[in-house]
Amino acid sequence: MSPTDVVVVPSAPALLPSYAGGSDPVAELRTACRGAVEWLAGRHPDGVAVVAAAARSDNVDRGMAEPVGTRVARHLLSVAGYRGDLVDAATGGASAALLVVANGSATRGEKAPGHLDERAVGFDASIDRALREGDPAALRELDPCLGESLWCHDVPALLSLGRLAPAASTVSVDYAGDPYGVQYWVVRWTCGS
Amino acid sequence: MRLGRHEFSDDTTLMMAIVNRTPDSFYDKGATWAEDKAFDRVAQVVAEGAEIVDIGGIKAAPGVEIDATEERRRVVDFVARVRSAYPDLVISVDTWRAEVGRAVCAEGADLLNDAWGGADPALVEVAAEHGAGIVCTHTGGVTPRTRPFRIEYADVVAAALADITAYAERAVAAGVDPRSVVIDPAHDFGKNTFHSLEVTRRLDELTATGWPVLVSLSNKDFVGETLDLPVGERLTGTLAATAVCALAGARIYRVHEVVPTRQVVDMVWSIAGRRRPARAIRGLA
Repeated sequence: MSPTDVVVVPSAPALLPSYAGGSDPVAELRTACRGAVEWLAGRHPDGVAVVAAAARSDNVDRGMAEPVGTRVARHLLSVAGYRGDLVDAATGGASAALLVVANGSATRGEKAPGHLDERAVGFDASIDRALREGDPAALRELDPCLGESLWCHDVPALLSLGRLAPAASTVSVDYAGDPYGVQYWVVRWTCGS
Repeated sequence: MRLGRHEFSDDTTLMMAIVNRTPDSFYDKGATWAEDKAFDRVAQVVAEGAEIVDIGGIKAAPGVEIDATEERRRVVDFVARVRSAYPDLVISVDTWRAEVGRAVCAEGADLLNDAWGGADPALVEVAAEHGAGIVCTHTGGVTPRTRPFRIEYADVVAAALADITAYAERAVAAGVDPRSVVIDPAHDFGKNTFHSLEVTRRLDELTATGWPVLVSLSNKDFVGETLDLPVGERLTGTLAATAVCALAGARIYRVHEVVPTRQVVDMVWSIAGRRRPARAIRGLA
């Protein structure tokens, strides 16, 4: 089964309730995520497939085996009131709804987590273009090694999106920005006619 | 916790700013003796974030006798003025006298801060009558406005616990709402410096009672003697003691300096896992 509806949200831990402070440093991003995931869950109340990169090996070594992207997806779906099945696309599960948890580089400025790497601009631009054009083939061209060097650990999730989804017929970019030197998108795709 | 007309959740910490209507208190030495100066002080501490003002008409140390008539003259009209200007502010009055307590409650005081351990047994009845809160302190039974002299305890914390809980139970029996009872070990009152240090070190034994704990540490002699510093140079020591009390779970802090105390309490409360950081993005973007 190919997905008919796709949502992309970032894997920022700041979205998790366990890291909430008194004020929300990602309020605008969170609002966009909430709207997109509510849209997805509302259209597919029984089954949403989740695509997220595996947990980073260094975090696994620290005892955190569950990927942050999976936790972000579960939280956003819970906030959206979703009570259906969570399908793990990484183990071959399929659904008409696909929630992809991925962001771009984290090296977009001197205060970015990974400091400034000028290659980030081109790398993120290629993802941005593919998402805005609903172009899964372009996502399949992403270089995971370059992504790792730019502190983007979500390339495997974007590659999966490229493999799983057909070209989008309509695209909505609800959010695009890099408020902390990390490139985020919140995007909805509708695939097929 | 309920203080007069004000309700607070169980995880709230409160700054109680000292406002002296006295010409001779040890720290400000009469700076707010004039009523307008005292009113300016209220405006300042409210702007700094204090939730409570503690208005006092008699300094704690020995000195000129201030009778109830003079004490009322100093505080009653002032309470009415503050009540009118700041309806959301908790007004506490530092008095041990039931007669004064009754007059200030009639003008809108929310809390009676009895620093002298129930010296006037009728004070609890006044609190009950007006729906006010009461601070139950431990002084070892000394007479109001006397300095400790060769007071000894086999166990100062056990003594404080016994006296304070008895006082709290007496207040409830008199009709005070149990949510309106606050306890205070009263550093330096009926205590030498070693006693106050031990009470600080073992404050968790007071918080374990379940009654909300008030601590009054600001610039006191136990800080001065510990660090060999005069009044005016005790802020750092005060804040160190504040941090220890905050870690133990004290809820109300009677202070001269609101802003630094609030920062210390918030920081410690967050370290203890009882308060979220104001805003967290480091490592989480």
